[in-house]
This record gives sequence, C-alpha cells and structure tokens, in this order.
Amino acid sequence: MSKGKLAIIGIGEVPTRTMPERTRWDILYEVCMQAVKDSGLHKNDIEGTVIVSPQAQERLTGELSFGKLPEELGLKGVRDSVVINAGGASTSNCLRMAEQWIESGIARAVLIPHVTVHSTIPLPDVVNFFARAGVDLQWEYPYGSTYNIIMGMMANRFMRDHGCTEEEMASVVTALRSWASRDPNSIFYGKEVPSVEKVMASDLLNTPLHKRESNITADGGCAMVVVSAEDAKKMKRPAAYKLGESVRYFSGSPVMRDFDKVAEGFKVTAKEAMAQAGIKKEEVSIWNCYLAYPLGHPIMAEALEVAPKGQAGKYFLQGRMSFGGDIPWSTIGDAPGRGHTGSGVSAATYVETARQLMGKAGERQVKNCTYVYQNTAGGSGFNNIASIWGRE
Amino acid sequence: MNFDMTKPLPEVQPWSARFWEGTRQGKLLIQTCKACNAIIFYPRKACPECWSDKLDWIEASGKGTVYTFSTAYSMVEPRFMDELPYTIAYVDLDEGIRMMTRIIGCDPKEIKIGMKVEVTFFQREDFHLPYFKPAKG
Repeated sequence: MSKGKLAIIGIGEVPTRTMPERTRWDILYEVCMQAVKDSGLHKNDIEGTVIVSPQAQERLTGELSFGKLPEELGLKGVRDSVVINAGGASTSNCLRMAEQWIESGIARAVLIPHVTVHSTIPLPDVVNFFARAGVDLQWEYPYGSTYNIIMGMMANRFMRDHGCTEEEMASVVTALRSWASRDPNSIFYGKEVPSVEKVMASDLLNTPLHKRESNITADGGCAMVVVSAEDAKKMKRPAAYKLGESVRYFSGSPVMRDFDKVAEGFKVTAKEAMAQAGIKKEEVSIWNCYLAYPLGHPIMAEALEVAPKGQAGKYFLQGRMSFGGDIPWSTIGDAPGRGHTGSGVSAATYVETARQLMGKAGERQVKNCTYVYQNTAGGSGFNNIASIWGRE
Repeated sequence: MNFDMTKPLPEVQPWSARFWEGTRQGKLLIQTCKACNAIIFYPRKACPECWSDKLDWIEASGKGTVYTFSTAYSMVEPRFMDELPYTIAYVDLDEGIRMMTRIIGCDPKEIKIGMKVEVTFFQREDFHLPYFKPAKG
C-alpha cells in the first residue's frame, strides 16, 4: 500500500523551442493526447481537467477558464474543468486540486496540461507583463526594479554572507546546461555547454548577473494524467507517487521579502515533506529544483543541507551537481536550461520527476531513482511548495 | 515596435498619500501604530500586526544602511534605459524598516553592503521619490 494518495500515470511533452508556427492549441492537443495515451486510459476516462494558467496569454486564459479544453478534445467524461493561477506554483496547486477531486470522488482521472507560446506575443506586451507581474506598483516599479535586479540583490547578499564567488555562481549555469544538453525537450538540447569562463565573459546585465545567467523566453507545453495511488497500483504501469508535501508563504511583493525567512522556508518545507513521506535526505535520488534563475540554486542547495554552509558554490564548480556528478540536481536544467515558458517550467519539472521515477529519462536517467524532491515557487517567489515523489 | 516610454509614477493608495505628501516637504515619514507601537513599511490601511486603524506617522532620521544592492547595466524595462547604469538597493533605515530605493551620488562600483547612506529626494513629475546617497562623515 502506497503512503501517498495521488499518482502521475501518464505524461506528454513537446520540445521547448521558439516555434511560432506551433499554435497554443496545436501544442495543447499534442501534449494532452500524449499524456492520455501514456496513461493507458481512454480519453473519456478523464473526468476532470485542471489547467496551469497560461501567463501573459490573455485570450487563451479566457478560453480555458470558460471551459474550452474538454470540448475541444472531446473528453466526454469530464465533470469539471478549472484554470489555476499561483504563478510558478500553479502546477503544484493543480495537483492539489486533482488530489481533492480524486479523494472526494468527483473524478478518478484528471488531466493537467500547460502551454506557453511566447514567440507570438508582441514584444511590448511581453515586456509590460513581466515588468509588472508580482512587482509592487508603488514601492518597487517606480525605482526601475526588475526580476533580474531582485535576483541580483538576493545573490549579492548570499555571496557576501556565504563566501560564494562569482565564478562559483557562474558554474551553476554550466551544471544546469550539462543536463539540458542531454534533454531532447530542452531548447539547448545538443548545444555546447558553456564553460564558467564563457558565462562570466557574457555581458553583465546587473551585478552579479551575466547574460548567460538570465533566462530566454520560449514556447513549450506538457501534460500529466493523475489518478489515485490505489488505482495506479491496479493499473500496473510505471507511475510516480506523491508521498509528502509542505508549503510556506513569504510575501506578496519582493520589497517585503526577508531573504533569511525565504532560506528558512526552503529548509523547513523540505524537512516537513520528507517527514510526511517517511524518508531522510540521504534517500533522495534527485533534487529537482525550480528556481527560474541559476543564482538561486546555491541558496537552495545550502537551505536543503545538500551542501554545508559556504560550500554550495564549490559543489557546483566541482561538477557535483552536473550530469554525471554525485548529486543529481535539476535534471532538465531548470529555466536556464529549458528556456522560460512561464509557469511551464514548473510543469515540466513535475513531468521530469515522473519521467525519472517511471524510468523513462533516457540518457539522463538517474540509476535506482527511488525518491525525488520537487519544489515550486509562486510568481516572484511568494512561497515555496516542497514535495516528495516516489516509485511506490 | 511601440513601447510606452512614460516613466511610471507610484500608484498611491489613500492610506499612503501622507507618505508622498511628506516627501514633497523633504520628509521621510514612517507609518506607526498607536495601538501596538508597530513601525510599518509599506503604509497600510490597517496595522499589519494588530489590525488597528489607529495609525500615525513619525519622521525618519533619513539615515540607513545598505542591506543589499544590484547595479543595472542592461536589459531593464525600456522606460529606464536612459538612466543606465543605476543601482537599486534595499536600505535598512535606523528606525528598523527596510525599503527599496536607488543609491545615487557615487560611482556604482563604490557601493557596498553595509555602507551608511542618507536620504535625498528625486523629483519625477509631482512625486519626490526617496533615493539614498552615501552618508556624510
């Protein structure tokens, strides 16, 4: 009997690329059909759709929140359909909603898709969206603050307090891209992995953030089918079981955010999620961290006690978190390795968690993958949701 | 490509209007709670500690310390491109609150965490944004 109540039984994904010719609905069809086929279920077995809110895509958000997806796909068994928006934490909340529907008997199988096509949004609209999203219009925006600058401020403080060097920070990109270069769904699949020197030689955007330590926007999509753990067992297919979860809220605008409280939140949620799952950190096979910017990864690595204080940067520089290293870390390369697909990066990390636990990760497959730590964070980082997933 | 290049002004709430009136008079005001003595930033409609509406203001000394900062050289919102390079910082005021601001009046390379700073005001249309500069002495 599994300790968890929920299982991912089917996954679907399209490669993250800049491909304006793939429309949003084109991608939605493809990922949803892939996920349902992968689950072994019939389309009409899907009884609910919980959709990750497509950020900055107003028209599509309207269509989805008015119930278009089940009708478009001809899902005859659907009883309810919702869109969920908690920024980057949307996917975690989609899974929670699905879990509630399954537990209460509303639905036995739930489809959770996500799509982003940034490349067809007019540039001024993209700029306007990201300039204001999660940024306080009275106390932050008038000063010229951006996400890049907020990350830079967080990184500068961390580097000073934890003795982390710019070279060590830059090595995080090398580590993430080493995974991404082996992921057919990454925008950097098969591309050269930039050396630390190359990262540091790229343009300085804002201290200490170089161009290669920032994100590029991209198009992509993925989907999952979830059922109860009990049903997943009966289906006798590879599955990923949710075993534990914990969350902490930090604050709604970066100007109020206490960096120590954020790091403490990372630590506490990991411990609570692991306690709920009944595992120790030594048993975690993959630390699948979603932080959007590479500069956040050493902060997370030390908060999770994967690396001792002052050592996380060195661990990355030594290649311990890279492909082939002894600490498998963010095995799709997080947003810097993926291309930023809005909330799609967090959705893709869940698909990766399931893929690794199902043993379908190909070249990136981590041997004896038993437990995966998986987090998401909302919007500008207003919270952290930690979860533990296992093979059974 | 048509970008709106209008500089953003603070979107004032009724309960923060006094703060911006203060800056016009060269004063940095901090909201306080008469019920629980909380020092509040940013200004709210009710005290975030006790929900009292008995709110008041004190004038800050204008002195503070840089908690952290980042100097922008590129890739900012187009509205601010003409101001590059500029430094955004979190400054801890001596009164115990932390605010986002700009650091001006020195070479960005001289800015350090822990640097002592003092308030100055930068006018944008009818607003006087509190910026900070290196403290004298």
